[in-house]
Amino acid sequence: MTVSLKFHEGTLLLDGLSQEKLRDIFSPFIWIKDDRVNKFRTDAIHYRIARRILRQKLGENFIDKVHKPVEIRWSKVRLHEPRSDQADAVAAWRNSKGRGLIVMPTGAGKTNVALQIMAKLEMATLVVSPVRDLMYQWHRNIREGLGVDAGIIGDQLYKVSPVTVTTYHSAAIHMDKIGDKFSLLVFDEAHHLPTDFFRDAALMSTAPFRLGLTATPDRQDGGHADLDMLIGPEAYRQKLKESKHLADFYVEQIKIHLSDEERDRYDGASKAIQFWFGEKQKEKKGYNRKDLLSEANENTKARRIKKLMCLKDSIEDRAAEKIRVLEDIFRIHPNERVLVFTGTNIMAIEISRRFLAPTILSHTRKKERQAVLKGFESGEFPVLIANQVLDEGVDVPDAKIGVVLGGKASVRQATQRLGRLLRPKGASKAVLYEIVCDDTREILQSRKRRKGDAYERTRHRRL
Amino acid sequence: MLTSEHAIVDYDFRSRVAKPDRLTRMNHGRYVDLAEKMLIIYRDGAGLTRRELHRRVEYLFDDEPCNTRRISSFCKLLDDAGEYYPDGGQKAARMRLKVFRLAAKKHPLVERKQTETLFGALENEESVVKQEIADDLGLSWQEIDDLLYADVISFHRLKTPPNYATAADLLSHYNVAQTQAALYKAQSAAITADDDFKTILRHVKLCGLLHEISRLDSSTYRIQLDGPASILRNTARYGVRLAKLLPALLTCVGWTFTANVKTPWKTTARLDLSPNSGLRSHLNAPPAFDSSIEESFAEKFGEERDGWKLIREGAILHKHQKTFVPDFVFRRVDGQEMFFEIVGFWTPEYLKAKLDTLKIFSNRNILLAVCENEGALEVFKEWTDNIVPYKTGIKLAPVLEKLNSFVMSSAESR
Repeated sequence: MTVSLKFHEGTLLLDGLSQEKLRDIFSPFIWIKDDRVNKFRTDAIHYRIARRILRQKLGENFIDKVHKPVEIRWSKVRLHEPRSDQADAVAAWRNSKGRGLIVMPTGAGKTNVALQIMAKLEMATLVVSPVRDLMYQWHRNIREGLGVDAGIIGDQLYKVSPVTVTTYHSAAIHMDKIGDKFSLLVFDEAHHLPTDFFRDAALMSTAPFRLGLTATPDRQDGGHADLDMLIGPEAYRQKLKESKHLADFYVEQIKIHLSDEERDRYDGASKAIQFWFGEKQKEKKGYNRKDLLSEANENTKARRIKKLMCLKDSIEDRAAEKIRVLEDIFRIHPNERVLVFTGTNIMAIEISRRFLAPTILSHTRKKERQAVLKGFESGEFPVLIANQVLDEGVDVPDAKIGVVLGGKASVRQATQRLGRLLRPKGASKAVLYEIVCDDTREILQSRKRRKGDAYERTRHRRL
Repeated sequence: MLTSEHAIVDYDFRSRVAKPDRLTRMNHGRYVDLAEKMLIIYRDGAGLTRRELHRRVEYLFDDEPCNTRRISSFCKLLDDAGEYYPDGGQKAARMRLKVFRLAAKKHPLVERKQTETLFGALENEESVVKQEIADDLGLSWQEIDDLLYADVISFHRLKTPPNYATAADLLSHYNVAQTQAALYKAQSAAITADDDFKTILRHVKLCGLLHEISRLDSSTYRIQLDGPASILRNTARYGVRLAKLLPALLTCVGWTFTANVKTPWKTTARLDLSPNSGLRSHLNAPPAFDSSIEESFAEKFGEERDGWKLIREGAILHKHQKTFVPDFVFRRVDGQEMFFEIVGFWTPEYLKAKLDTLKIFSNRNILLAVCENEGALEVFKEWTDNIVPYKTGIKLAPVLEKLNSFVMSSAESR
């Protein structure tokens, strides 16, 4: 009796062995008897080990029906010589049997490390990134570095090629169809992988080789422990402080004040909100924001309070003085590239319409994005405005001036954002302006931003 | 369809039951009025942006104590049923690049020149630059500004209003859509079915779900549904497929449906449905008969003849993922069954597939009616003697003869 193994919608199906025999040869036992199809089933991620054991124990009697991903011959590889730390990272990953995590700070060239590995392996590769912008950026980097026009899954496109780029979301949705098409998975910003849904992107693939890239592997929910199983162990870690390639930079905080009209609306809203919470806390001890949000679903008064809270955020976000401060920053640095981060899409568009400067938003299409980034790099566009989409790893040319206009920040976001300014090009120091409303919640958020690792080496000044 | 961000589900912790948001005439009578007003907003709203339409709907709900998800769900359903002008994405993007390139040479655009300083002379005022660009492009600045971000989804303009005929239509769509949204979190489901199980099974397969079938009594079956990876871990990844099944299921009769839904607290809750749940499908009910040959045979035979009851699609034969529902079952009072399959119009592929299926179930009593044309008869005769040939309609006499000889032979073997 022959034993066969095949790929089925993100899982492996094994046919032709009894439970006893299977238990004899597999330890730990990875199989589950599936009575629906009268076969044994396991996650596709176990393909490498399952194939090895079955070949070893059954020899000729084992037929591997799992699709073999194609091999690739890169026609024109044009990559930067790896720096010594990048070469170390590549070697460390290979020593970890081609499964592992590389932890490097943003700006230290993780992309180059991944491209070096792809160039050497010459295997069908899927690159998974958190947002569409990054996906397109990988597409560009692969074309420029490896001379291949990669397939794209995501952003309403579905084109599968031996080298394909995608997002975590699309990868999780489609992996049951494409899980047998790749030998190497590259997870960019890999700390995103261990959610209940996204992890299917790793579990449902047969790829024996896996590379995870991140600057911040730790997750608040402890999910990073699973990266070991889903990708592999930490193969290489470069501390932010050890990096010799990053430019020093200042943070300058600029406090602005709301206009009288804004202040009136802001205070009015604050008062109503305070009153509401005061009254509610008399009825129920510890009544908080969460209670309000659930009450807002049943009670129109609570909903109005919720709206007032949104209004406060919006007044902070769109305070008129921010625009004037921005104007002054442009005046101070007329010949420098300035990168502006906003908290919301609306604010980004508002600034763009005011200063007639290009934006990169979540919906910006590939062609425009490329034109904008190229124009920014060449100096054709002196200003680039972005909302959170540029938070992670998006390659922005070596801007020296950054402006953060509010926006809710977590420690990780701050590391990533500052990373944009830390590109190892040029020698002069970068400046990051933080424009925050005085006496509002933005000040608190700004303090929180400062706790991140990236801030440790920065000096703070006040204007 | 809604997204899971729209879902409003009430979980009863004691009974572990999930209840998707449901608007009923009894408790939500005022929603008929609200729905009518929403339809009016959209019908009168051609040319308005998505954002403006949503604002108006939100305003309508100002005094209605409800989850804001309900409001955004209505907006989503109305948006989906209507049509917006194509975003002219290329046009807006081209305009942006053109305008920003022209403006870049004048950077920064200041509100007012600093006339007191030397630098002021080098500065460019926003309003002046904008006017220059407008003149350059031969448009008014207002026209340029309107187009500049016209591709942002909330600035899209409504072209055709949604096609809901009545307020009741919109409300029943809402109820189905909310139940579907609750099913996105489903890890598995089970359907019991009698009359329509063949149709239900066909839809199950179309949705790409795996099934396990068990017989509850002579005419009722239980279909357990989930996906390939469900056996490895609890996963809601097949919830969308279950949600897609719902509108088709609602066109059928004689079923119950129970899904296991993941709650936000990582426990599970039951979601129960049946044709009496008050949900109405927007799809049409399936036709009662596959072909006229079957229909006329059923008419000729009647409900019962010579001690045999005739039941249309009264049984599922199943082995793992292979299922076969014969067109009819002849059932005697003592429980003896003979399955009856009519092999009608075909292609060679159809014939081969049918034969392959029949071979899997060769241990069952299956009587075939095979059309005499085009060599089909020969193909099946090679494999079984249990055949009644027919030309234009199936005659009763040869069928009854086969049935009776079946009773005799099974009596002998006993």
